Amino acid sequence: MIEATQVATSPEVNKITSPAGLDIFRKELDSKLDPNAPLLIVCCGTGCQAAGSSEVVDKFREVLSGIGWGGKVIPLVKPTGCHGFCSRGPLVIIEPQDLFYQRVTVDDVEDIVNKTILNNEVIRKLQYKPANSKEVIPRASDIPYYAKQTRLVLKNIGKVDPTEINDSIVRGSYSALAKVLTRMSPDQVIDEVANSKLRGRGGAGFPTGLKWESCAKQEGTRYVICNADEGDPGAFMDRSLLEGDPHSVLEGMAICAYAVGSNRGYMYVRAEYPLAVKTLTAAIRQAEALGLLGDNIMGTGFDFKVTISTGAGAFICGESSALMASLEGKVGRPRPKYIRSVEKGFRDCPSNLNNVETYANIPDIITNGGDWYKSFGTERSSGTKVFALTGNVYNIGLVEVPMGISLMEIVYGIGGGIPNKRSLKGVQTGGPSGGCIPIPHKIPDINVGYGKLAEAGSIMGSGGMIVMDEDTCMIEVARYFVNFLVEESCGQCTPCREGLIRMREILNRITQGDGKEGDVELLDEIGNFTNNFSLCGLGTSAANPVLSTIRFFRDEYDAHIRDKKCPAGVCKPLFHYDIEAETCTGCGLCKTKCPVKAITGEKKKTHVIDQSLCIKCMECYKNCKFRSVKIM
Amino acid sequence: MKVLNIVLNGKAVTAKMGQTILELAREHNVFIPTLCDSPALEAAAMCRLCTVQVIEGKWPKFVTACNFPLRRDAEVVTDSPEVRHGRKLIIELLMARCPTSPELQRLAVDYGCDLERFAPLNDDCVVCGLCTRACEAVTGRTLSLAGRGVAIHVDTAFQKASEYCIGCGACVQICPVNKIAMEDVDGERRIILHGKIASRVKLPQCTSCGKHFGPVIDLQQVMERMGEHKIPPPNASVCPECSRRNLAIKLGKRYFEQYGVFEDEEGQANAG
Ligand SMILES: Cc1cc2nc3c(=O)[nH]c(=O)nc-3n(C[C@H](O)[C@H](O)[C@H](O)COP(=O)(O)O)c2cc1C
Ligand code: SF4
Ligand code: SF4
Ligand code: SF4
Ligand code: SF4
Ligand code: FES
Ligand code: FES
Repeated sequence: MIEATQVATSPEVNKITSPAGLDIFRKELDSKLDPNAPLLIVCCGTGCQAAGSSEVVDKFREVLSGIGWGGKVIPLVKPTGCHGFCSRGPLVIIEPQDLFYQRVTVDDVEDIVNKTILNNEVIRKLQYKPANSKEVIPRASDIPYYAKQTRLVLKNIGKVDPTEINDSIVRGSYSALAKVLTRMSPDQVIDEVANSKLRGRGGAGFPTGLKWESCAKQEGTRYVICNADEGDPGAFMDRSLLEGDPHSVLEGMAICAYAVGSNRGYMYVRAEYPLAVKTLTAAIRQAEALGLLGDNIMGTGFDFKVTISTGAGAFICGESSALMASLEGKVGRPRPKYIRSVEKGFRDCPSNLNNVETYANIPDIITNGGDWYKSFGTERSSGTKVFALTGNVYNIGLVEVPMGISLMEIVYGIGGGIPNKRSLKGVQTGGPSGGCIPIPHKIPDINVGYGKLAEAGSIMGSGGMIVMDEDTCMIEVARYFVNFLVEESCGQCTPCREGLIRMREILNRITQGDGKEGDVELLDEIGNFTNNFSLCGLGTSAANPVLSTIRFFRDEYDAHIRDKKCPAGVCKPLFHYDIEAETCTGCGLCKTKCPVKAITGEKKKTHVIDQSLCIKCMECYKNCKFRSVKIM
Repeated sequence: MKVLNIVLNGKAVTAKMGQTILELAREHNVFIPTLCDSPALEAAAMCRLCTVQVIEGKWPKFVTACNFPLRRDAEVVTDSPEVRHGRKLIIELLMARCPTSPELQRLAVDYGCDLERFAPLNDDCVVCGLCTRACEAVTGRTLSLAGRGVAIHVDTAFQKASEYCIGCGACVQICPVNKIAMEDVDGERRIILHGKIASRVKLPQCTSCGKHFGPVIDLQQVMERMGEHKIPPPNASVCPECSRRNLAIKLGKRYFEQYGVFEDEEGQANAG
């Protein structure tokens, strides 16, 4: 009987004392791998864990150990980070066949072992069927959701066990660090990163090479800091990276430290990410034990120590000066300094702050070269970007796409289109600092890149992407983000604080039917003022959701204010439902769905809604197969 | 020291490296309104009233004059229509908070504010943060900015009457809209914030005249001393009035005793 725990931890592994030693160690690990050994990959990202994937892992281990294998290789159960398809979780992928099982529960485990592992028989009910299709897609790599992505920065996620460093090393982790430490000068590293044209993935899109170069020019102690505060509502790109592939981020930070001349790093992680903190803590410990981080890395004399700091749980702490203040143990409020943190940041020392995804891109840029990275994406926006696709779209989850991809392709090709026979109204990108892009009606499509998004009144942001169907009220969308910022602004400066309060006040009255002539102009005036006069990046982008909806959906504002109508049927005081006599078949479905018995009508005759009883719950509207329930 | 060439509202002037726009403007008698700035405290740039436009490269950008350090040759416009419009909005928004402040009322006239646009939100504080910064410099911990999001406000720790206050009155004196009060009653000094007692300080009794007294600190002095070392808590046992008189008597004795003028005052002089 051969144990297939190919990459088991051996506690007495010696420190790697030279870059060549890493290569030897990797080859040794690789030689122990059996490419034909069965492998059960279980997604243990936060989403799948919430759906019970840890229990699935335990159950697999229990079932597998209770079977006599008679010379056969025992399959390895590998928990991994988020595969990005959380809406279908818990996910199990069986290698080497690349079989994709979705929504796996503890009760399915015995079946999977007995049928699929032992007898090569697939279980149909666990297989993936795209929306509106009867054909299952058996292999993970054939699923359009994955097949249409370009996974560079996410390449290890869902493949490696993030709790086990050897599993990352065997796939090449730390070899880029070994390369810079032996064969590149700090300047060459910066040149390579600059050549890649990588831009910061945290929001503003500042050229990473340029930032590193300014930091390297400074004197004295320098810090390398990773921004893992990820506060945009619905965003979880950074969490997935930290939970699924911590070593790529750590290696990216170490390479940065070498390039800018630092030996001290901090990872500022959002307090709500306990799994990420746990995974990172273990990853740092394992890397230090092997001599890949800490003192005298790989015997080269280069030291780099990383400390994790958990955030104060505030969105504003993602802003660079607030983050530094919070790291110093002070209140996390932006500081009013007209000086960049690469000159004077953490503890008044030069500090290089980058986003998680930015750092995670670095190792491959070093290994494959800036030219390789630039071959993805567009001239001004190189490489790929990870988006958290959500909203009114079939496939919700993380997607990595080359820059310049068509937004329609993301929504329809990868996202699978709009469910419930609804049509697309727009896509919101950039979170609370972004805007709504009115595809396909007012703008047919756009290529997703920094410049193109800005032209459309939005921003790339950190990767939030919300698909909105025709039932979305744009004033309500603006109100949602303003309400978010009302809570998350630090409140210290007048334009942001008072501007948000007033924008909220006006949007509230518009959605309640009390909007006044001139309200849109006032919103526009306050919005432009807030964007120009605020102290930090939160305030100077706080009005974007308002301004962009005014720009593209002015008619909807007017309908609310002048006609006292919410065309999307969202603002309750501003619409009612009516059943259209011409198309109602009298099927009676609405009647059975109505929770307050507001609908009456005989079979096969037109049904009627009693407006005095209706609570506008949307059930009849959603369920009518003939779309006879209309928003009036 | 490098000298910078600055065009200030169309006039060519020179500035020192690192000098703020506000300092330069004052040197040249260009008035820029401020609310949250004090020369004795580090700038917090919270009110944004001093916003001006500066052109260092191609495009004008909005910056706050109180803390923007000039480091390059630049053009500064302190009163453009865009700037005036933004200030007008700031004043309108703050007047809705604090309509009784004479300072704001004056500015509202200057900027032609429309005070009907925003419904009153009566909070009585414009969150300029001056009191908290002054207090931090004096005691480090009595007043601070608290509250989440736009609900930010000045408060004491846990909203309880603070034990750390030394009753110096710096907060009272520095508030641009006079929203902090100080009362000496029943042998204690009270700092009153938002109509609530924010702190009580037991006032020492003068061993000379028997009256209660508290530290009356001239803001100018507080400001001068801040940044160097903290003001020591009041521990002298004689009230300032008596100290002054006693000192006068002592000096008088030293120089005039020989003329026999002070005989009647002997007892009081000894008590000092
Ligand atoms: C209000 C606010 C919140 C922010 N939150 C984050 C965040 O959660 N994560 C992040 O990486 N950057 C965030 N940023 C951007 C950072 O300030 C900074 O630009 C970024 O971390 C720089 O890294 P990059 O160049 O790699 O993008 C935020 C900015 C603002 C103004
Ligand atoms: S812009 Fe908003 S978040 Fe930024 S400092 Fe001002 S109040 Fe705080
Ligand atoms: S909206 Fe809801 S309450 Fe109103 S009629 Fe339809 S099902 Fe009934
Ligand atoms: S009086 Fe009290 S609260 Fe006011 S500044 Fe002095 S110590 Fe602070
Ligand atoms: S109380 Fe006065 S000094 Fe303190 S923040 Fe409010 S307005 Fe400013
Ligand atoms: S957590 Fe499993 S796919 Fe995201
Ligand atoms: S005086 Fe400059 S921002 Fe308040």
